[in-house]
Amino acid sequence: MARVLGISAHYHDAAAALIVDGKLVAAIQQERLSRIKNDPSLPIAAARACLEFAGLAPEDLDAVAFYEQPFAKLERVLVNLLRNLPRTWKQFPRALASQLGSKLWVLDHLAEQLFVARDKVQCFEHHRCHAASAMFVSPYTDAAVLVVDGVGEHSSTTLWHGHDSELKLLASVDFPHSLGLLYAGLTAYLGFAVNEGEYKVMGLAAWGQATLRDEFARLIRLHADGSYELGLEYFAHMSDAELGFGPKLEALLGPRRPANKPWEFADPSDRVSRPGSRPDRHYANIAATLQAVLEDALLGLARRGRELSKSKNLCLAGGVALNALANARIQREAGFERVFVQPAAGDAGGALGAAILAALALGDPRPEPLVSAALGLPIDASRALTIAHELGLPIRRVDDPAAFTAELIARDKIVGFARGRFEWGPRALGQRSLLARPRERATRDRLNRLIKQREPFRPFAPAVASEHVERWFASPPDDMSPFMTTVAPVRPDVQAELAAVVHEDGTARLQTVEATRAPELHAVLAALAERGEHPIVLNTSLNGPGEPIVARSEDAIAFWLRHAIDALVLDDLVIERPT
Amino acid sequence: MTAPIHKPPSLPRRLRARAKTVLKLIGYFLHPARFVLAPMLIVLLLAGILLWLTGGLAYVAPFVYALF
Repeated sequence: MARVLGISAHYHDAAAALIVDGKLVAAIQQERLSRIKNDPSLPIAAARACLEFAGLAPEDLDAVAFYEQPFAKLERVLVNLLRNLPRTWKQFPRALASQLGSKLWVLDHLAEQLFVARDKVQCFEHHRCHAASAMFVSPYTDAAVLVVDGVGEHSSTTLWHGHDSELKLLASVDFPHSLGLLYAGLTAYLGFAVNEGEYKVMGLAAWGQATLRDEFARLIRLHADGSYELGLEYFAHMSDAELGFGPKLEALLGPRRPANKPWEFADPSDRVSRPGSRPDRHYANIAATLQAVLEDALLGLARRGRELSKSKNLCLAGGVALNALANARIQREAGFERVFVQPAAGDAGGALGAAILAALALGDPRPEPLVSAALGLPIDASRALTIAHELGLPIRRVDDPAAFTAELIARDKIVGFARGRFEWGPRALGQRSLLARPRERATRDRLNRLIKQREPFRPFAPAVASEHVERWFASPPDDMSPFMTTVAPVRPDVQAELAAVVHEDGTARLQTVEATRAPELHAVLAALAERGEHPIVLNTSLNGPGEPIVARSEDAIAFWLRHAIDALVLDDLVIERPT
Repeated sequence: MTAPIHKPPSLPRRLRARAKTVLKLIGYFLHPARFVLAPMLIVLLLAGILLWLTGGLAYVAPFVYALF
């Protein structure tokens, strides 16, 4: 039985995950501790936090596993730089700096900074790590596995057959063709930050219509076997690290949208495209077409995976698997009985996959299916008490934090809720959440105005006790809904009662909450039901714009000091804003 | 009982580890399919020594994972 630390780093969403004797003990994204959003740096703090949580010292580790093969990556970088000369010559110095300054030596750096012997540090192929991160914590013993991201060493899309503890590669699409880079390029074109704004594009899609199919047919060609090709002349990710798209894209779709320009179609009646009127509808139509094309491509790949693997189950991984709209369509239309996406499907999840692959190689069994995303550090209530007293904050203990929270929500208050261990992945799932009543659209506006300062088209998500899902939603709980990696249609007759969480297309990115998976949040929902309220809340992440989600007590109190929420619940401690 | 004190490895140990990495890298690129990249690799390694001597560089950009 082995103790293995998995690491992802250097591009975005660095993370560490710890497997001890075949059990996933802790998994932490570096951004939660460093407080730098999407922190790509070597996650030494996250790794040490995992070890400390498990009561282990670095010398107790049997292996440290990195989620990428540095030499294979360097090979692809060199080949790409040569292939795209002379356009890439300006990139040579920076490529050299990037590869030789840190990336090539990453295994040495890990050994030195984690204080482990160099021969214990190993690496695995990027897409195999993604596939392992989904397959080996899924509830399935047999599944097709589809990995879709920007690019790993060479591949940007891979299909696998997972069976018990084995992964067999079935098919792949290689760089520079990439669905992740297509989406990233259009994200940049629409004026959003790449690696962060993709959620915004997904939200924007509901406000437009897929009217640009002909134009997008030039950007990507889908083949009958599920593979695809990008129209590379429209993109620049082979030669430009800043933008991702080229002048031909602007010639095809019109000028790019300036970053940070306010959006001008908050009125739902603006959804229908009217040429010559507000230009933001054009950008919404681009987002809608991109989403539709991405879904078509993923459906083709998923169906191909079903043909090749003959499996009834599908696991999805890679950054593109965080597209909840596409996941829901795959669940409906790809022909699989069950679909699973683990909560940190992006690059952070590679740390988990690397740890599992190393543990399997050392003879461990695969881990138990993932029940909860609460894999981070717990709230330190005594530290919260000390800080609050030092700052003179009116902090007090309550006997029943869930009932107290439910009472505040029932009174239309916005509550910061930090209980238990923080979440693994980009979604707040009731351990570090802002909770509110989902009935009034005004709640959404208040959250946006006071705290989130999001674009007006972005939805908030509901969390509902799983035993009550079918009262509100037209699809039952599935393997994705506990982790908020899918959407569900809201029943038309209750949409008015959920005005704060229903998106423009009538769906919601719901979280189904079970007592075994998220006990603290389930207790709040049960307490709401006891009060005669609906057992459903608006659940959004406990962070402000541009901030990582709260991790520790001090982060939560800092959030309280900066943002005008009504109350903060920290374990069994409460701080309330005077009314 | 006191916790063990963890110290970073000494410079000679670090240099030995780097030398092993360079040897493995050369071994990787000696494969016939990658032989064409060898001249570029030599330039890279020379530049790497310069970078190491000057403290290295770091660069972050949105599409850096695609290109670098």
